[in-house]
Amino acid sequence: MKMARVNECRRIRTLLYTVASKRFGPDAGWFQKHIAGCPRCWRRLVASRKVDLAFSLVKTQPHKLDLLARANARAIAVLKHSLRGEPEVSDLKTKLPEPKLLEMFHGCGRSVANVAACVAILLLMKIGVLSSINQFHSTGRKSMKQYYAKRIGEDLAGEIFAQDAGQPSSADSDEVFGA
Amino acid sequence: MFGKAASCGLLWDFAVSETVAESQRWILTAMRKHGQGLVTMLWRILGNEQDVCDVYQDTFLQLAHHEGGRKPKYVKAYIFRTANNIAISMLRRRIIERRGLAAPVACRKGTGSPAAELDAKYLQEALRDCIAQLPGHLRDVVMLRDLGELSYPQISGILGISAGTARVYRCKAIQLLATWMNKEE
Repeated sequence: MKMARVNECRRIRTLLYTVASKRFGPDAGWFQKHIAGCPRCWRRLVASRKVDLAFSLVKTQPHKLDLLARANARAIAVLKHSLRGEPEVSDLKTKLPEPKLLEMFHGCGRSVANVAACVAILLLMKIGVLSSINQFHSTGRKSMKQYYAKRIGEDLAGEIFAQDAGQPSSADSDEVFGA
Repeated sequence: MFGKAASCGLLWDFAVSETVAESQRWILTAMRKHGQGLVTMLWRILGNEQDVCDVYQDTFLQLAHHEGGRKPKYVKAYIFRTANNIAISMLRRRIIERRGLAAPVACRKGTGSPAAELDAKYLQEALRDCIAQLPGHLRDVVMLRDLGELSYPQISGILGISAGTARVYRCKAIQLLATWMNKEE
């Protein structure tokens, strides 16, 4: 119960944040217009973007692949003798940085999303649309029958729809979709 | 008699070392678990591999000698905070050394031009200088969030503040950094 509430809270917070950042974020139209005309705000925006750029540069600077192994070896060298003889130590001394799971699948995120969307559509078609298409069909027939009954009379409408009921309909969902 | 005593001593030493190894094995586990994140953060703070290794070594040395080798309650928090403090001391020392050795005129020569402004190295060093000047509570958040890439809940756990406070501190820190980095021009 508590967990569900926390999740709901988080969802609402995320939603609010998304909406707020769209309306009041740096990409909002009114903001861009204001920046174009206000030199003080323009300077502030430039300054904050410069900090972002500096952080990006710091983050993208690569280090040597064996840095972790070297750092581990240095740290292990100052630990107690008994710890240095542990079997785990040799692994640590040769350990290379591993990308995070999210980073590993970052490249194929779009294709995974596309496949998921296709699967979702197929499921919806299979479960939602196909199962209720018979219901739509019968409701449609009923309304058509009522319409004709009003216009041309009960007898003739009954005759037409009795004939139709005898023949297989072309709009039969099972035949159309092969389900 | 003497031989017996010596063998007893050896046995005792072996038993003690076994217990120590058993009791401090968590250090190696912590190294395996948090080592990569720590090295990445330190590399971003210091930008020098030798310094990264030094700080990493000092951090684990301090961890091993924490209260006579006792395990801290929150190992991750201890490691990251200790590494942050050592790294920032090193960064400050480096800044002072640089200012003392290099002629300030030479340092400022190219900073006005647009080319220098876009110079990656200059920007990185300017950012590091400004981070070193930040007040401690703001600096810790910026270092953990932007250089350590930890989430706000993780930062709140490490620093013992709420996630909201961490967000506010980060915002203030960025404002200060932006002001200072613009003043440097």
